Amino acid sequence: MKKSSISIFKVLVLAGGLSCFSSCSDFLERQPDQIMTDDQIFGDAVMIRSVLANYYGRVSWGQHIGDDYQYTILDEAGKSDGGPDNIQNYGNALWRVYDYTLIRNINQFLKGLRETTALVDDEKQTYEGEARFLRAWTYFNMARGLGGMPIVGDEVFEYEPGTDITALQYPRSTEAGLYDYIIAECEAISTLLSDETNTHAARANKWVSLMLKARAAIYAGSLANYNNKMPSPIRTAGGEVGIPADRAEGYYEQALAAAQEVIDNSPYELQLNKPDDLERNFYEVLSVKDNNTEVIWARDRIYPGTGQQTAFTTRNIPGSHAEDIDRAYAGPILNLVEDFEYTDNRNGDIHIRDNQGNYIFYDNPLDAFANKDARLGGTVILPNALFKGTPVELQAGQKIWNNGSWQTITGQPGERDDAGRLITAANGPNRSNEQYINKTGFFFRKFLDEASGASTRGRNSEMWFPRFRFAEAVLIAAEAAMELGQGPVAVGYINQVRERAGVQPLTSVTLNDIVQERRVEFTFENHRYWDLKRWRLAHIVWNGVVNSPTAQQYALFPYLVVAPSTSNDGKYVFDRLVFSNSLHPRFFELRNYYNFIDLGWQNANPKIVLNPFQ
Amino acid sequence: MKKYLNMLLLPAIVAVSSCGLDNYDAPESKLHGRVVYNGEPVGVRGTGEAVQLQFYQDGYELRNPIPVYVGQDGTFEAKLFDGEYKLVTRDNNGPWVNDRDTTVINVNSTANVDIEVTPFYTLSNVQLSLSGSSVNASFQINDITGDRDIDYVMILVSKTSFVDDVSYTARRDIRDLTAGTTVTEALDLADNADFNAGSSLFARVGVRAIGKDQAIYSQVVKLR
Repeated sequence: MKKSSISIFKVLVLAGGLSCFSSCSDFLERQPDQIMTDDQIFGDAVMIRSVLANYYGRVSWGQHIGDDYQYTILDEAGKSDGGPDNIQNYGNALWRVYDYTLIRNINQFLKGLRETTALVDDEKQTYEGEARFLRAWTYFNMARGLGGMPIVGDEVFEYEPGTDITALQYPRSTEAGLYDYIIAECEAISTLLSDETNTHAARANKWVSLMLKARAAIYAGSLANYNNKMPSPIRTAGGEVGIPADRAEGYYEQALAAAQEVIDNSPYELQLNKPDDLERNFYEVLSVKDNNTEVIWARDRIYPGTGQQTAFTTRNIPGSHAEDIDRAYAGPILNLVEDFEYTDNRNGDIHIRDNQGNYIFYDNPLDAFANKDARLGGTVILPNALFKGTPVELQAGQKIWNNGSWQTITGQPGERDDAGRLITAANGPNRSNEQYINKTGFFFRKFLDEASGASTRGRNSEMWFPRFRFAEAVLIAAEAAMELGQGPVAVGYINQVRERAGVQPLTSVTLNDIVQERRVEFTFENHRYWDLKRWRLAHIVWNGVVNSPTAQQYALFPYLVVAPSTSNDGKYVFDRLVFSNSLHPRFFELRNYYNFIDLGWQNANPKIVLNPFQ
Repeated sequence: MKKYLNMLLLPAIVAVSSCGLDNYDAPESKLHGRVVYNGEPVGVRGTGEAVQLQFYQDGYELRNPIPVYVGQDGTFEAKLFDGEYKLVTRDNNGPWVNDRDTTVINVNSTANVDIEVTPFYTLSNVQLSLSGSSVNASFQINDITGDRDIDYVMILVSKTSFVDDVSYTARRDIRDLTAGTTVTEALDLADNADFNAGSSLFARVGVRAIGKDQAIYSQVVKLR
């Protein structure tokens, strides 16, 4: 009995073993379905297209609506979500781009594309232009943070054990050299690409490459100009950082020429579909994709599709309009609101108190913002302004007239007094550490999606993020003309933009006018930081001084006046307060003008020299 | 059964013996240093890793410096392994003339080093006192190099002993000063919340040369 049971056991083991061996062989020899060979990719037009689409998804850097915290670290918005932000200075790697992985991928793509027979020549040429444009855009994002970096051309580096790696170690280009490369590439690319517009401006065309050329040239020109006007210019011995002053004029001329080509010949325009409602018009320029005639290139989004939407609207919508539990993550700050001019007065300060220091009373909180630059209403939701047709209530508390002085009372969000009058609005603002309550007195309007369901977690928003638009061409032309001493030309350009905003025209243009105009025109569009850097103004504007009007963040709180049997009862007054959720003034130090080189890069490539202050 | 036990013995020995064999002990040697001008330590901003020195050690594959941060009284300290180190200041960092000459240091259980720098300005005869709600400051600014203007002078008051252009509760900036004369200025604290709350107060003055990333400071004085 015992003996036979063993032999049965042995047979079973043998059978099991054999079946395992024979069944496994197929399993192990499967082709990987995640890794494609070059032949599979470049033998198929659809595959080539989807590889290119992948690159378009990898080029969002710096501030954008996919990462709303980044808006709160400059002087545009403040974080209302929970407790205060302790940020005290800027990191050495803030918004640093060092994406040689992407550049290598694009070079691999270019190599395969040039050999493929799956595409007709026209398509090949377009794809080549788009890939090279994305590479130039990557270099540009790298240059504005780090200065000159290695230019690797079309090289696809391969490494096998035993390769001499010194041949792979490229030194840094000079800063001027990298901008020259970007400008030359854009010039070449513009002849490869179509001059037609495309759906939602999602793909690069001729005008996109000319816009990058204009932007790179104006950056290089202002770096050459303003860096050398500093008491001690920021440079490295080899020019990896620092452009010679005598290059400025040439760059400004290139910028002006490229911008003028877009202005004169492109199918885009300063969109003006609603001349009777300039606020709405400006909102639609940035935030309505269909039939848009202004945006030249954008990061487009669509629903459905995994990862192709943004939570910006979900996170930042006013509580009164929210469709999900998320709301009021951040809001624009008073510093920004006051930088928008009045139509007839260039000083945009909100009139809160009169000359004697008494409150100014408004029947409707929105009246305090009457006659402002129309772009303000298109960028910011002001207290009691309409969103999706209903007012957005913002009220911090009540001001009670009590024996000759004002007493301030605040309540829980949504709380009313015994007479049924609102104390604090459900939206806020207040000065607490609570989540989901506004703390600045304003909400975002630009890029806030009006579509139904756009503020739910399950759907999110299809809002795009414009990277280039026609107004930038106009303001680059204005700036370049101003720097080249062509005053009347500059005035003509800047007034086109101002006219659309409903503010008074200028008769002359200075750098301060350009700074001001770009601040209000391109709010939340990832320009502010780079602009102040290239004009070498960042360390002056964000000087780190407590209560400095530009470095400290401020909030504006509206209050309902409770003064029974006086004429002011039921009106509104405002208090200007230091923004409670941002403890420290913004402090941009000289070392922040260039990102630090990661020491790991230098270890891998000793030819990389370090940046100043490092 | 015994065979199996023997088989378990080998991994057990490996497991026990591998601990500790391949680890270095933490560095124990101490380096004390000062950043000095004419033998006097140089006061700097001591918060936020603002002023940095860099140690290098030759003979290794990687060339990353070891950063050492200078305290607000101009001293620094590091725990190191015994050996020869090279010490340099960080590029363009600090209120002194940029000079990246190397100082060689031999660390053998302890070492002391003075790094000589040339500040653009120094502060002397600094007197800080509190009378009523006013901080009275009197000091002399000395121009050392003669090739850079003064950007501004700060009188700073803090409620902790860290006082600099970032850590302060009250600050007054004074511009258009010339070196060589005695400056007497006051900073009013009547509206200052920390002053009115009765906190401890510390003060010092700083002068910033135009175009430099850092100011030079006097030593911290406790006001109350």
